[in-house]
Formats: sequence, C-alpha cells, structure tokens
Amino acid sequence: MIGHIARKELAELVRDGRFRWAAAIVAGLLLVSAGAGWTRYRDVSAQHAAAAAATRAHWLGQGEKNPHSAAHYGIYAFKPRLPLSFLDQGVDEFAGTTVWLEAHRQNDFMMRPAQDATAAQRFGNATAAGVLQLLVPLLVVLLAFGAFAGEREQGTLRQTLALGVSRTQVAWGKALGIAGALALLLVPAALLGAAALLLGSAGAVAPTFGRGAVLVAVYLAYFGVFLAVSLAVSARASSSRLALLVLLGFWAVNGLIAPRVAVDLSKRLDPAPTAFEFARAIQAELSEPMDVARLEREVLDQYGVETLDALPVNFAGIRLQASEEHGDVVFDRHYGALWDAFGRQSRTHEAIGALSPLLAVRALSMGLAGTDVEQHRHFAAAAEAYRRSLVKAMNDDLAFSSVGVAAYAAGPELWESVPAFTYEAPRLASVLGSRTMSLIVLGLWVLGSLLVAAGAVRRAPVD
Amino acid sequence: MLSHVMRHEARSLAADRTLQAVALLFGAILVYALANGVAWLRVQETTLASAAADDLTRREALAAQIRALEDGTATPAGGDPRAPATLGGARGARLAALPPGPLGALAAGQGDLLPFYYQVSLASNDQSFVQNGEIENPLNLMVGRFDLAFVLIFVLPLLILVVSYNLISAEREQGTLALTLAQPVPLATVVGGKVALRALVVLGAAVALTLAGALIVETDRPGALVLWTVSVTLYALFWFALAVAVNALGRGSAWNATVLVGAWLALVVVVPALVNVAAHLIHPLPSRVEMITAQRDASNDAVNRRSELLARYYEDHPEMVQGLALDTANAAARSWAATEEVNRRLSEVASRYEARLAEQHRLIGRWRFLSPALLAQDALLDAAGTGDARFGRFRGQVMEFAEAWKAFFVPHVLAGTHLSSADLEAVPEFRFVEEPPGALARRVAAPLLVLTGLTLVVAGVGLRLLSRYPVLG
Repeated sequence: MIGHIARKELAELVRDGRFRWAAAIVAGLLLVSAGAGWTRYRDVSAQHAAAAAATRAHWLGQGEKNPHSAAHYGIYAFKPRLPLSFLDQGVDEFAGTTVWLEAHRQNDFMMRPAQDATAAQRFGNATAAGVLQLLVPLLVVLLAFGAFAGEREQGTLRQTLALGVSRTQVAWGKALGIAGALALLLVPAALLGAAALLLGSAGAVAPTFGRGAVLVAVYLAYFGVFLAVSLAVSARASSSRLALLVLLGFWAVNGLIAPRVAVDLSKRLDPAPTAFEFARAIQAELSEPMDVARLEREVLDQYGVETLDALPVNFAGIRLQASEEHGDVVFDRHYGALWDAFGRQSRTHEAIGALSPLLAVRALSMGLAGTDVEQHRHFAAAAEAYRRSLVKAMNDDLAFSSVGVAAYAAGPELWESVPAFTYEAPRLASVLGSRTMSLIVLGLWVLGSLLVAAGAVRRAPVD
Repeated sequence: MLSHVMRHEARSLAADRTLQAVALLFGAILVYALANGVAWLRVQETTLASAAADDLTRREALAAQIRALEDGTATPAGGDPRAPATLGGARGARLAALPPGPLGALAAGQGDLLPFYYQVSLASNDQSFVQNGEIENPLNLMVGRFDLAFVLIFVLPLLILVVSYNLISAEREQGTLALTLAQPVPLATVVGGKVALRALVVLGAAVALTLAGALIVETDRPGALVLWTVSVTLYALFWFALAVAVNALGRGSAWNATVLVGAWLALVVVVPALVNVAAHLIHPLPSRVEMITAQRDASNDAVNRRSELLARYYEDHPEMVQGLALDTANAAARSWAATEEVNRRLSEVASRYEARLAEQHRLIGRWRFLSPALLAQDALLDAAGTGDARFGRFRGQVMEFAEAWKAFFVPHVLAGTHLSSADLEAVPEFRFVEEPPGALARRVAAPLLVLTGLTLVVAGVGLRLLSRYPVLG
C-alpha cells in the first residue's frame, strides 16, 4: 500500500509544473555554485602551490648569511584546501590564507579574501552548501506542506482512510514519494560531484570519499528532518495555508534568524580581545627582560668553564633560543586563549542548533569540507610548530657551528637541512570528534522529528 | 473614506492573535539588533580611545627623551630617538584612525572586517594596507551580525509579506470583499487603506528604533538620519507594492504566499549570492599571495644593490635630496633606498591587483541594480558610514598621510641629520576628512532613484491589475 501511495505522490509531483520549475531552479543553482566552487578550489590550490614553491626557493636561495638573519627572513605557509571545499568554502574567505613564519614572533594570518570584496559579499557567496542548507529544505516544505492538509481540504484523505489504509501508511507513502522526487534531483548531483572529485582531485582520494560519505549522510538526515517536520505540521494544521505559514516560519528561523542570533550571543558569552588589547598584552609580556645572568651561570656550569669565551659553544645562539622559548610560552598562552574563545563561540553556534538544525549541519559540513575554524586552528598550530623547529635549527647552528668564527655565515647546506613545510589535514575521526555536539544535536533532531511526526500523523484529523 | 478603511482595518488587525505575536517578535528583534549595534560601537570607541592614549604616551615619552638628550641630562643609548629613521620609524609611528560612522550603531557593515585604524611610519608600504581589521572569529564574519541593517534588509520584507500576502485574497476567500465593495468605495481605496495602515505600523516601528539608536549614540549628522529613513521607507514600500501586485493577480492566499516568499528568496538571497559568484568568475583576481613573492624577490635584489639604488633614487627624487652630494650618503640613506625600491616593486604588484579589483567592484556596482536588497544595503551602509566608500576613503587618506610622513622624514634620512624637539611640532598629523554631504547624496542618489523607480513600476502594475480584479471570481 505504501508503495502505491508513494508512486501516486511521485507521479503527481513530477507532473506538477511548479515542482519542475522549482527543481530546475534548485538544480541550476546547485550546478552553478558547485562549478564556481570547483573553479575556486582549483585556482586557490594552484596559487598556493606556486607560492609555497616560491617561498621554499627563496629560503633555499638566500645565499650565505648568518643563521639568525635567515630565521628573520623566514618563510611563508599557505593553508591548502581540501577537495571537498568546493562544496562548502566555509570560513576560508574570512580567515587569512597565509602566515609569515619568522624569528621571535608568532604572526597573525594575513590576506583574507573577503577584505577585497565589496559589502555585497556579506550576503554570502552562492555555494553548493548554501543551496543544500537553505533551498532544498524550502523545496521540501513546498512539496510536503499539503501532504495531509491539502488532501483533507479536497476530501480525499477521508476516502483513502476509508479504504482501510492507516494514517501512518499514508505518511510513509507520502514521505517516500517526496523523497523519490528529491532523489531525481539530488542523486545525479551527488554522482556528478563524486565524478568531479574522482577525476579532478590530486593525491589520494580515499580520505575525500570517506569525508564525502559522511557529508552525504549528514545532508540526508537534514532533509529527513525537514520532511518529518513538514509532514507533522501538515498532519495537524487546520488548513494547508496555515501549514505553509508555520513551515515557512520554521524555515526562516532555521536559516535566517538563528544563525545570526548565534553570532552576537556567542560574542557576548565568550568575548575575544580586541586586536589592540591582544597585541599590547603580548608585547608587555615579551618585553619583560629575560634573566640572562642566570642563563649564563647555567650554561657555564653545564660545560664546567668560568667564562663565556671558554665555552665550546656560541652563547649568542643559546641565548637566542632561550628567548625564543620564553616567547613561545607567551604566544601559546595568548593565541591559545584566543583560539579557545573562538572554539567556545563555535560551540555556542552548535548549541543553538537545538533551535535550528541548519547550525548543526553547517558545522558538520564545514568540518568535513575542511573549512571550519577548528581546522584553521589545526593548520595554524602546524605552521607554528614548523616555525619553532626552523628557528631552533638556525639557533642551534649558531650555537654549535660558529664557535670562534668572527663573522659567521651559514650556507645552502643549512637551509636545505630544514625540510619543506608539509601539512596533513586532520583525519575524519578527529574532525567528527571535534563536532560531537553537532552530531548529537542532529541525531536528536532526527529522532525528535520522527517521534513528533509519528504522533502528529496518528492523531491527524480526517476533516 | 481612506481613514475609515484604516480605522476598520486597525480594529480587525488588533484582534488577530497571530499578528500580535508577530508584532511582539518583530519588536523584540529590533531591540536586540539595536542593543548589539550599540555594544559594537562601544567596543570601537574604547579601542580607538586606548589606541589614541597609547599613541600619546609614546609620543610624549619620545619627546621627553629628545629633550633630555638636548639638555645633556641623558646620553644616547640604543637607537637615538632624534634619528629620523627612529622618530619616523616604528617607535615614532603615528595613529591614523577612522572615527565610527554617524550611525555606526545601526549597521556594523564592513567595520568588523576592514581595519579602522593604522599605525603609519616609514615602514608603511602597500603590504601594510592589506592588514587585518579587528580580531573576529571568521565564523562570525561569515554569518554577519544581527544588527538593525540586517533586520531591515532581510526580516522587514518577510514581515511585510506576512501581513500583506493575503491583503485582498483573504477578504475574497471569506466573502467579505464583495460586501465591502457593495459600499460606494473603489477597490483601490480599500487596498490603499490596508497598505497605509500596515506601512504606518511597520515603518513606524523601524523608524522609532532608528531614532532611538541615533539618540543613544548622539549622532551629529541629521543628514545621515534622513538618508537612512528615506532608504528604509523606499525599501519597505517596494515590498508592499510587490505584495499588492501579487494579490492583484487574483489567485488564492497560499499561491500568493508561495510566490512572495519565492520573490523574497530570489531578490534577497539568491541574486546577491549569484552576483558575488559571477563577479569572481567574470573578473577573477590575481592572487594577493603574489605580493609576498614580489616583496621577497624585490628585497633579495635590493639588499645587494643598496648603493646603486641610492644613486638612482637621488636622480628620481631631487625634491627629497635638496642638493645633497651622493658621496656623503650614510648607511641609513642606503638602507632607505633599498626599502624604497622594495616599496616601488610592491606597489607595482599592488596597483596591478587594485586595477583588477576595481573592475570587479565596478561589475558588482552595476549588478546591484538587480536586487532591491543590494540597493538598500548600499544606501543604508552609506548612511551609517560603515560602507565600502567610507572605508575606501579612509584607506586612501591614510596612504596620502603615509606619503606626507615620508616627505617629512626622508630628507633628514638622506642628509643624515637629526631632528630636534622644535621639529616635533611640525611632524604631520592625521585627521580623517569626511565626504561632503553633497557628494554623499549624489552617490546614494542612483540606488535610491532606481529603488523608487522599481517601486513605482511594481505599484503601477499592481494598480492596473486591481482595476480588473475578479472580485467574485
């Protein structure tokens, strides 16, 4: 019986001119935005690969100089994009793309693409994720708002039930029919996306497909929630008009109001310092003088000599490294606190997902696409670790290779001894681990909406 | 007659529980948005105050050091603050700040993304002007703030659609429309009365909150307030006109609701997002990252060619040299010549980039006419003083200031002379010059005129359709 209803529903929808139009528009937007996302992914990856090669060449080609000058010269790190970022560019346009790794300082990320855009950018770019998060649910609402309410108004619900079909069977039939109509739109899109990934992404595709499979599951769960909520409202609403209004209200809160409420609320709950305060606090701690006399005594004791000149090492290198480590503690504390504040803000966004499943889905989607704030932090941490290893290599060389040399200069061998910076994105398990709250929230939405729908359908009035 | 319709309409709307709830929610949203905006304005004010205080402290400390050196009560240790490379360099850097816009509390605009203050010194170059703005979670930047501009651009149209999607269709569905029109009153008057009442209430709330915001931040620019109010009114009238036109097509309420939500989605969400994407596809930007590569290439070259560069610099800039002979050049002068060469190469890359960027922005400027929401955003941000134009103006003035700064210090660097405490008075100061109100009005005229035109066209179509409305159909 369910099959009959589903087939009837699907046939009706597919014949409906409004559905065809709406589906064509959504499909077109999906195609355009995914295509634009793919171009962007390809361009940015090429730019960053070229720039990374250039900065490495600069590093290797800096000629003969003092290792500490080389550390000052430093190197730039560029955040790579994962292939799935073509679906969801996340915060990438608003977070910096590159960071300068130099002696003495942990720097901020620079060059946020959004700063070069006009205010129109604040309306958001057309991305596949945006279409999936905002437009497809609207399509679900438009397909489903009349499922019960419309049949009730036409009097056909009473007829169907008179045949001995249960309300739950009607609901399942409707749900499958609508899902079938959506599948006509989404399955080809997903296959196209998978094909693009298979053909177009460099390197191993297995991690991408792992992330992609979870991404598909997340979006399916999201559409399922909208379908269940729509059927529940349609089952109980006194008219199809009211059902539509209530569902549009839910859609607007979900996609429009709740995400912005989360922004200002998260900032109030966990304020980040202003750039001025942040820089001043770091500067104040960095300029606290280091206890050089104590360091001298320690090093002299360690080597069992009386004067710095008698040391078998260059004390300048030791001192530079000690001041570097003094700075690292300061940077770890301040940047750690800043990223933690951002992390708690993200958590507030996820928690408000209890009102708006979009927030949970968005967090998961960005996480899987590798474009969320947490993976930005992951990259920043990797770059900072590399900076420290690079600076230490320079200071160690100064300390141990330049003893007794008047104007010491190292050469290409030293520059080459520092391996090029490589970055590995976090694994799927760790991405999902950082997004447990969203997983739970989305799971609760699926469960809750199914229960509510089941209850609402069972008690659906006949007319 | 019109007032009669309005009075009657007011009574029936006031009895509607759903509408009461919606009105209450809208009021709460407006207040929340204003509170957020004011909080953000205070953050900016505090930041600028601390930055200015810090600037003053540094300057006074430097002046005191210089006086002590001149009195002979101190001897130079470390960098001599009288050296032009020091006084004009990072230690003597000068704050260049953009005061918050006249209605900055109503629209955060680009203020959370673009820098509103810079430190200008001899080290300033094109790369300094692509620095980050205020510290902000990129997630929050991506989503955008819940400020009054957001509520007016996104939520206000939805509210208008909720209260007027069934403006006429509901009366026809209930059968009251024929009764009403049996009285000696034209349909256009009935519709006019209904719209007028709704517009009064909705716009009244929006304007009241705007005024409250203006009072709280004590704005001294009434012109901005007028511009803001006019923009909001025009934008709201556009949506009312659209609702009337869709109603006038004579279909049912559910159909009206679907079409109007579709229109909202298309004009407020989809078109702006497509404009952004199209601008990137049609005018792709070269990578900013190229600036880094160029800067490094240039500085690698320049370091090894300081003397040669200095000679060329002397030829290119006689105004800076003031008859100085090359053989007296000091180390600071040679270093400056290398820096300036790097700056020159950087600004080549930057100006290529800026030219491409300008093309992209021109395209977006033309295509904003596709969406009333983009037009309204433009006008509102310009009124608030948080739009691209004011930030661009600020950046331009800071760049000019950086040139003035160089013109003051570089001759001393080249001559190898020290500055004295008497010179401190003459060090350039930055002061942001606001766009004259006339120029602002001319710039905003285009979007507002187009918005007016759109509203009139839609309203005209609506009125024509109304004359053929199937009252009993």
